Amino acid sequence: MRAFRSLLISETRIFARDVVALFFTFLFPLIFILIFGFILGDVDRPIARLGLFEVSLEEDAALRDVLSSSGLDLVSRYASADELASGILDREVDFGLTWDGASLAFSYDPSRVQENYAFQQIARGITDALNLRAQGLSSVIRVEKEHVGTEASTRWFNKMVPGIIAFSILSSGLFAISGHLTGMKQRRTLDRLLVTPMPPVALLAAIAAVRLVIVYISTLITLLLSSVVFDLSYSIDWVAYTLLVACATIGMMGLGTVIALVVRRPSSAGNVANVIAMVMMFLSGIYFPIEFMPRFLRAVSLALPLRHLADGMRYATGVSDMSQLRFWLIVGAFLAAGIILFPVLARYAVRPQRT
Amino acid sequence: MNDILLVARNHLLMALRERITLFWFMIFPVFLLVILAVIFGHIGQEGEISFGISLLNLDRGSSNAFSTIVEETFAELAQPQEQGKEPLFALMSSGGGEDPDAYIEAETLAVKRGRRTAFIIIPEGFTRQVMEQIATGGAQETATSGGASALQILYSEGNTSSAMAVSIIEQVLAGIDQEILARSGRFDAARSIPLMTTWVGSDAAEGSYVDFLLPGIVLMGFFMNGLFGIPGSILFSRDQGVLRRYWVTPHTVPRFFAGLTLGHLALCVVQFAILYSVGRFALGASVSFATAPAILFMLLAIVTFMAVGFLISSLSKTANAGMAVANILNMPMMFLSGLFFPIAGLPGFLRAIVYINPLSYLADGLRANIGVESAQFSPLLTVLIPIAWIAVATVIASWRLKWDVST
Repeated sequence: MRAFRSLLISETRIFARDVVALFFTFLFPLIFILIFGFILGDVDRPIARLGLFEVSLEEDAALRDVLSSSGLDLVSRYASADELASGILDREVDFGLTWDGASLAFSYDPSRVQENYAFQQIARGITDALNLRAQGLSSVIRVEKEHVGTEASTRWFNKMVPGIIAFSILSSGLFAISGHLTGMKQRRTLDRLLVTPMPPVALLAAIAAVRLVIVYISTLITLLLSSVVFDLSYSIDWVAYTLLVACATIGMMGLGTVIALVVRRPSSAGNVANVIAMVMMFLSGIYFPIEFMPRFLRAVSLALPLRHLADGMRYATGVSDMSQLRFWLIVGAFLAAGIILFPVLARYAVRPQRT
Repeated sequence: MNDILLVARNHLLMALRERITLFWFMIFPVFLLVILAVIFGHIGQEGEISFGISLLNLDRGSSNAFSTIVEETFAELAQPQEQGKEPLFALMSSGGGEDPDAYIEAETLAVKRGRRTAFIIIPEGFTRQVMEQIATGGAQETATSGGASALQILYSEGNTSSAMAVSIIEQVLAGIDQEILARSGRFDAARSIPLMTTWVGSDAAEGSYVDFLLPGIVLMGFFMNGLFGIPGSILFSRDQGVLRRYWVTPHTVPRFFAGLTLGHLALCVVQFAILYSVGRFALGASVSFATAPAILFMLLAIVTFMAVGFLISSLSKTANAGMAVANILNMPMMFLSGLFFPIAGLPGFLRAIVYINPLSYLADGLRANIGVESAQFSPLLTVLIPIAWIAVATVIASWRLKWDVST
């Protein structure tokens, strides 16, 4: 127990002195939250800003009514087609409409390839509505839309934050063992520790305990920042959340053990962990929905632990729903990965460096 | 001259032999290019994306019922339009045998849990309500056509694909709407207001996502190459005493520097060739880099990122410290440059990073020069800011960079 306590203190000190580890654990997720939050998370931002140029000086009442019911929050008027074009290029508005009383000409900035699809959908809606209106008709099919998702989840950014937290757990867990142990091996501190009466498992337990606490605090800071700065709301099931963070951290450290066993140099171990984390990040629905991916990549994502961790995190924070059975299976799988891989690590990874 | 070429060759071969370097400089940019092009290059395009939806028709009457027309239209859209392509919708439909309440409960849960993107409920009395609307010219709602007979779409707002599916469903319904009104003689399709699309900017044509992405990924490759490759090369060689061995030969620092620069340039050319080939031949990019301004911009980018690499090397005592600094700078600089998404909505303090980030200007300048984006910065700034970075980094590096381990 004394050995464990000493190791706990030294591991905490080592972590506190490691600027890079501190950066990636605490600041990295916050930077992502800030960047993506300001781009995707602004609640008051209009759906799309339309620039309107009416050739006739008189305002068209029918068009005005259609635009006001189109879901657009902001319509700016321009005095000429050239001014409208400049407004689009300067990003004062997202897309433009020129109405000469007979035809609707929508203009887009060709460089906004990611967003033009949505603007074109709005444009079609405006055209359909104006077509009916021009012939004195209204829609015969009445449509009512009802949001049935979890109350907290009304924007993609709400889902992205738990995803970023999941990624931060993944990288912390992977690097904790792979980088740290290989670093100790290289510096020969592991050899020195192993000639003491310290059981190898005490070292692993100390690393795990320190990382668990730090990762947990880091996830809370991330949640807090996103709530305070971007007014995001969560409905957190604290028991589920805490157990998921703990088991996922242990599970990811278990995966890190595999890297530590395969790779000897700390820089290589860090690189391998980095590669795995990056590939998983892009295929696990952290930054864009999995449904956007082609079918074969959707199938690949099912095999990635980060996807399930992100889904579990979204469930635990109340931003999306899943069956309780699936959630506890995810928690159990991470716990099992950690429990199974840790003893393996103790036996094979924590041993003297061969010379 | 031979010694310069030898250093250049050495730098290039070392980079190509190191598996991890190969991954970050060659494989990762290609991976990113392919993955982003595959995902975002076909947003909303039929055959490339499929939405799982569910439909329940509670208005099963005669085969001519309007509810049946709606149901059949969605069933048709659930068939692949071309062999090998995905249909627009993967449709789950109630066979009619189930208890409607249980079906609604199950499918609503499926939408909540993300297993379906949307659930359409055609209510009882839907056909009657449509008939009444037609009878009144579709102009006004009748007293009996209350909310009870409106077609319901259940969806999850926070689920992007759900929101996208709903917008497509609405377009489909608008089409059915016009068709019904046209067949009933109310709507004259010939008098439809024409919809025209124009593209503002130099090309006046819609750019493809790959064309927009490719210059960004090329710059990202150069950026990572400079940010990690240069400090990696100098600092690891210095820490391991490799550089010291150079200095006991007639080889001098300026000649080593020249060789390193040449090797780095060769690596960037290889990197560009791979990315361009993948973009052009595998992903169908049509953008051309073969113009003098584009080539000069890419050279400016390579030199700027090299200078940043030298700056990091000069500020770091060890190779590990250099890599740590590069790692810390990498993501914020990359994401706050407009390489991958627009940065218009950023607040002042993050915008400040955008404005001092050379990558922002280089990305803007290169894209504007090859005609895939309208310039956000003045052309002068896109050249001056990177040159300022080169100047500052060169001054600091020549003052602080140690070419040998401290003894």
